[in-house]
Amino acid sequence: MAVDSTPTNDLVQEGTGRLQTIGYVLQAVALLVLVASFALLFEVVDAQSLVAGQSVLTWMGLGFGVLGLGFVAVAGLSRADLVESTPIKSAGVGAGIVYALIGFVVVGLVSSQTLGLQTLWVIPAILAGGLVFLGAVYPREDIGSTLPAAGFMVFAGTTFLTGTIGLDWTWQPIPNGAVFDASMALIVTGFFGGLLGAWTAARAGNGFGSRGRQSGAYLLVSVNAVAMAALLFALVTFVAVRGWAPMTRGIKTGIFWEPVYWFYFQPIQEYVIFQIPGLWFYWPFTMEGAALMNDINGVAPAIIGTFWLVVGAILFAVPLGVGAAVFLTEYAEQGRFTQLVEISTNGLWSTPSIVYGLFGLALLVPRLGNSNSILTGMLVLGFMLLPLVVITSRESLKSVPDEYRDASAALGVSQWQTIKSVVLPAAMPGVITGVILGVGRIAGETAPILLVTGGSPFPSTGADIFDPRFAFTGQFPWVSLNIVNVDPLLQPSSALPYQLYAVISAGLSENLSFAWGTALVLLLVVLGFYAIGIASRAYFRRKLQA
Amino acid sequence: MSETHATPVSEQDADQATGQTTPGETNEQVQAEWLEYEFQGDAKVSATDVNVHYGDDHALHDISMDIPEHSVTALIGPSGCGKSTFLRCLNRMNDRIKSARVDGSVELDGMEIYQDGVNLVELRKRVGMVFQAPNPFPKSIRDNISYGPRKHGEIETGLVSRLLGRDDQEQEDELVERTLRQAALWDEVKDRLDDNALGLSGGQQQRLCIARALATDPEVLLMDEPASALDPIATSKIEDLIEELAEDYTVIVVTHNMQQAARISDQTAVFLTGGHLVEYGDTEQIFENPESQRVEDYITGKFG
Repeated sequence: MAVDSTPTNDLVQEGTGRLQTIGYVLQAVALLVLVASFALLFEVVDAQSLVAGQSVLTWMGLGFGVLGLGFVAVAGLSRADLVESTPIKSAGVGAGIVYALIGFVVVGLVSSQTLGLQTLWVIPAILAGGLVFLGAVYPREDIGSTLPAAGFMVFAGTTFLTGTIGLDWTWQPIPNGAVFDASMALIVTGFFGGLLGAWTAARAGNGFGSRGRQSGAYLLVSVNAVAMAALLFALVTFVAVRGWAPMTRGIKTGIFWEPVYWFYFQPIQEYVIFQIPGLWFYWPFTMEGAALMNDINGVAPAIIGTFWLVVGAILFAVPLGVGAAVFLTEYAEQGRFTQLVEISTNGLWSTPSIVYGLFGLALLVPRLGNSNSILTGMLVLGFMLLPLVVITSRESLKSVPDEYRDASAALGVSQWQTIKSVVLPAAMPGVITGVILGVGRIAGETAPILLVTGGSPFPSTGADIFDPRFAFTGQFPWVSLNIVNVDPLLQPSSALPYQLYAVISAGLSENLSFAWGTALVLLLVVLGFYAIGIASRAYFRRKLQA
Repeated sequence: MSETHATPVSEQDADQATGQTTPGETNEQVQAEWLEYEFQGDAKVSATDVNVHYGDDHALHDISMDIPEHSVTALIGPSGCGKSTFLRCLNRMNDRIKSARVDGSVELDGMEIYQDGVNLVELRKRVGMVFQAPNPFPKSIRDNISYGPRKHGEIETGLVSRLLGRDDQEQEDELVERTLRQAALWDEVKDRLDDNALGLSGGQQQRLCIARALATDPEVLLMDEPASALDPIATSKIEDLIEELAEDYTVIVVTHNMQQAARISDQTAVFLTGGHLVEYGDTEQIFENPESQRVEDYITGKFG
């Protein structure tokens, strides 16, 4: 709607002036409310914390109030043609449903909790939802898309500012059940209200219509992306902050003069030739096991266990899975059989890990030395990894263009050679992506390890995969372990998630810091595997690209 | 009118033929003319009564033609007339399509290629193929060219063969240079043989594909609309190249561009809708004085 009635050039819209400014201000307020709810969630601030002399609760209440009044003002200005805007006939059914749901929940809560209507709350809630829906859909867009939001904002603002939900407010919906306090109320209202407010402000600020909808949608998806990244970042930071101190406790480094020896001949006659500077590094948390005499107990055996479990599972599952995928995609006729295999691999991938663990316990453990061992753990984790490798490898093999296969066949190259030298290299990045995803899952698995691998959760030494007693001999079978009854792969082992579980079930109060340290190390080990995977994927990708 | 045709003709075909075919003229009469098409030299490829079915779809009807050595033969016709299908019969690429069934006989230098015991590796080494869209492998230019010979065990390079003292690096270099020169690409890429082939332009990629096909030392080169995805400049390079290649190879090229066929080919075969070979003869004669009314209509642009 033009401000005046003189004909204007609709093709060029140089901003929408005042309305845009108001929109930006309201968006900023709404995003601040959203940020405040995240700050409350991660306990950066409390509801009571004073910011510039007022509590967070008051500030958020004020924010809602400003948003509500702002939306009312925008609706009035636009309706009275005092600002330039291009609203269409209706805010749309989608927006109507969103507002109706909010109205339904708010009125439902108020009537059941505050007014004590018991089960009758449904009636006012449905009535309110319906009214809000009509109120949003029936009037022109500038009214329909702002006033319902304004209603919610004003309601929330009043509730917080008048102390209906004050600092000492608590809510126990079920007697003897969970208790919610003002912070929780602020987090929930702040999150939904902030999103709603920002969305409405973005729509209004760009003059409604298709431009407004475009900006609203853009704001929502970008806030989603930022929120997701922030959540991940917060999670990692949370673990890192808690785990950093216990993990790095007692690190000692130093430089000392290291003698270099020259062995003259056997039996040892050694001469010190000269001394060179050596670096000395001691990191007890990752280099020590758990032992009575230790100053600082560490998780070295669990790191070794997790490392070998993951490596073993990859070595077992990747060739098998890629092989199966090659057969299913390149050789097998697409039909019932391949469909069946596809369905069952998908099913296997979603099978709970404890089921895999039980399977390993019942089938593998009795056959492989009758005790929990690192080998059964590798196999069971390999079984878990297998379906994902098959699924992702199939997908990436299918996405290799048929032109490559045709070109190779036309040169007289056999199918297997084509697969080996053209198809598989082209599919490699996809295969590696699958392995990366799978490693994230199996490295954090606790249940199967508990059942088929775990021995003592706090061993003093790690499993010796490369046993120092391993030696070559002159007799068949030309290799031997000096101690006959120890097979390195058949000994039980600890693993990081298993150790974490053991710490937690032993009682958190004493070992909380140890648990956080272990969690951080687990995170780093998984990230380390990721880094290797991503680097190798980048290597294969670069080879494929110009 | 279609009932006068001796060979089965699809409805669509009959519709198009209606009012354009002179009364009394049949495919058989025309075929009788061009079946006696005589050329200098020997037949390199000779097809007799080739029929192709894709499932229930009869894609090619009784195709018989002899293709002379060291010449360019163009297969022209409207979309869906079976010219590409026929081309793919000549190196048995139709074997790769599960629903395809090929009947009849195709002889290469007098040897039947549709019989038991035919070595497809050897056949496709002798009958190379270039596809419509450039399809280089996502490998270096050098690896694209040496791919065929390497897989056939003719060239061995790499660490192991170097250690064993039988590294064929020199042969490979020679092969790469020779084929790239033949494909008129050497000057443009000689400084970046180890770059990925996907970095080349479309026309360069297609010439690389030609060089790759030449690397297995074929006798016959099949080209399936090799220039249809390229711009005019790249197209004219490919056309010049085809004419040069005909000195050493027997080139059979599918195109739906009639001017292109007229420019580059020595003889032309016209396929029309439904998978019939309607006329085959010297390019000049086909374009200036075709026997069949339908061919004349097609060439003058009345349909197709």
